[in-house]
Amino acid sequence: MGQLLIGLRRNRKALVGLAIVLLIVLVAVAAPLLTEYNPAGRTGRPHQPPSAEHILGTTRLGQDVWARLIYGAQTSLAVGFAAGLLITVVGTTLGIIAGYRGGKTDEVISFLTNMVLVVPNLPLLLVIASFVGQAGPMVIALILGLTSWAWGARVTRAETLSVKQRDFVKAAEMMGEPQWRIMAFEIFPNVFSIVGINFIGSVIFAVITEATLEFLGLGDPNVISWGTMLYNAQKASALSVGAWWDILAPCLALALLGIGLSLLNFAVDEIANPRLRTGGRLARWSSLIRSGEGRL
Amino acid sequence: MLFLLRRILFYLAAFIAAATINFFLPRLMPGDPVALMFSSAGSELPPESLEALKLTFGFVDGPLWEQYLTYLSSIFTGDLGVSVKYFPLPVTDLLGRALLWTVGLVGTATLISFALGSFLGMVAAWRRGSRLDVVVSVSAIFATSIPAVVTSLVALFVFGFTLGWFPTGYAHDPALDPSFSLAFFASVAHHAILPLVTLCFVLTGGFTVTMRNNMINLLGQDYVVMARAKGLSDRRVMVWYAARNALLPTVSSLAIALGTVLGGSLVTEVVFNYPGLGNTLYQAILARDYPVIQGQLLVMTAAMLVSNFLVDVSYVLLDPRLKGSG
Repeated sequence: MGQLLIGLRRNRKALVGLAIVLLIVLVAVAAPLLTEYNPAGRTGRPHQPPSAEHILGTTRLGQDVWARLIYGAQTSLAVGFAAGLLITVVGTTLGIIAGYRGGKTDEVISFLTNMVLVVPNLPLLLVIASFVGQAGPMVIALILGLTSWAWGARVTRAETLSVKQRDFVKAAEMMGEPQWRIMAFEIFPNVFSIVGINFIGSVIFAVITEATLEFLGLGDPNVISWGTMLYNAQKASALSVGAWWDILAPCLALALLGIGLSLLNFAVDEIANPRLRTGGRLARWSSLIRSGEGRL
Repeated sequence: MLFLLRRILFYLAAFIAAATINFFLPRLMPGDPVALMFSSAGSELPPESLEALKLTFGFVDGPLWEQYLTYLSSIFTGDLGVSVKYFPLPVTDLLGRALLWTVGLVGTATLISFALGSFLGMVAAWRRGSRLDVVVSVSAIFATSIPAVVTSLVALFVFGFTLGWFPTGYAHDPALDPSFSLAFFASVAHHAILPLVTLCFVLTGGFTVTMRNNMINLLGQDYVVMARAKGLSDRRVMVWYAARNALLPTVSSLAIALGTVLGGSLVTEVVFNYPGLGNTLYQAILARDYPVIQGQLLVMTAAMLVSNFLVDVSYVLLDPRLKGSG
């Protein structure tokens, strides 16, 4: 886990990605300081182009786009991280238990995992969300968490299978450590890079999917988030009336967050699997190999 | 053969699970689910469609298990019920109309992306660390991490509205009737370009990354080193020794991508107002046309399972080790 952090600090992709994500988090947290407008209130005439007064223009209802964007970031980030965490916790727990326990437990969990994997995800989400009606952000996060853990469970299980063969696990078993302790303190830290990739990947997935579900009109239209901004702009035919700022602002924000998170994810992947790296610098190689069997 | 038999049983179980979710979801809703589904679909519906809705979800008189069996048997005989919005049009007809557009658009896009992505991934892996690799890898990262909604909306704005190069909706000029004429095909092609390019942009990155990773892992293998030591040309080693083997795992992701084709590309079709399956699903969601929504889920699940099964079959054919084992 420690080596992973050191590796991250030396990886340019990771630093750029981290900077982008932190910037968005910072803007979201500091939203009240960065705008004087109420994101839900009418603050100007409808569809005003960007100006000194409204730096990103206004929506058809005369709301300030910049204010909605930075308050919306709070929702998108909250859903992304909540759902990402839920997906990772469920996937990691099931993956480690299945991989370590083996036998009947493994068979049941693997069967479930494979089944969830072959049922197409997005339409299933759409069906569930359409029955829920207008789903609030946290309901969306919950639905995402409960339907999207399978990929993480599968890769964590595979990684666990190889870790459990190592000597230190055998040693812990011989010393009579309880199973939960071995799983939590011997296996978990050693599959941490997989967990990290799973978490960041799940956050990306959750942010994109939440925005998509809301864009398709399955979210609660009164919530302020990037997805509902897209939905409202599309409903107001923002593109055909030439109000590009209304639709491009959330688009760029989503793209930026997606890129930031992906850069982070690829960096973690590269550190965990050094052969994938683009700039093959020997120094980094050897430092990785020195820090523990070449695998982190 | 035992292996394939086990897979078939597994897929059957998965399909039944999906159908079971479909069956129980409306029953988990508070109150009278049929009345609720009916009222949320709007008031302009003919009263006969209420019966259709009941039949589609197996709300017959009798205990729950009897309803469940009725529902399952109708699903397995290919009866997906009747659309509430376009009563009395059967769901299968509604989906059938959109099928051709989706297969044409998304199928083509998937194949192009697969070919392009695998090629880029192969070249990038071969020249690992070069400027080309950096450009290809980083653009693949960007392309995969930008939501399809964003790509589609930006493409529509730039090329459809601002530059006016391409039409902003529909699959062909509404003034033209579908016919085997040059004008009609030209119109179809003109309307398809923008969604097609957008989809390729969204899909290619994934194939590139998979191929690059597979390929890099193979480049260190002994037989690749051996091929180089024999003095074979670079191109021969790259294509016939490394890429051919690296492509194997990609075939399964291609099959799965093709399995999701039937979902249409929901977002792209909605943004470009393309009359495919994705758009049909979207319209059904807007109208809360539950029989169509659940029919679409089942059709997509079935497509996904069939393509997964084809992957299994191809593995048995390609990997002799699987033939004997249970």
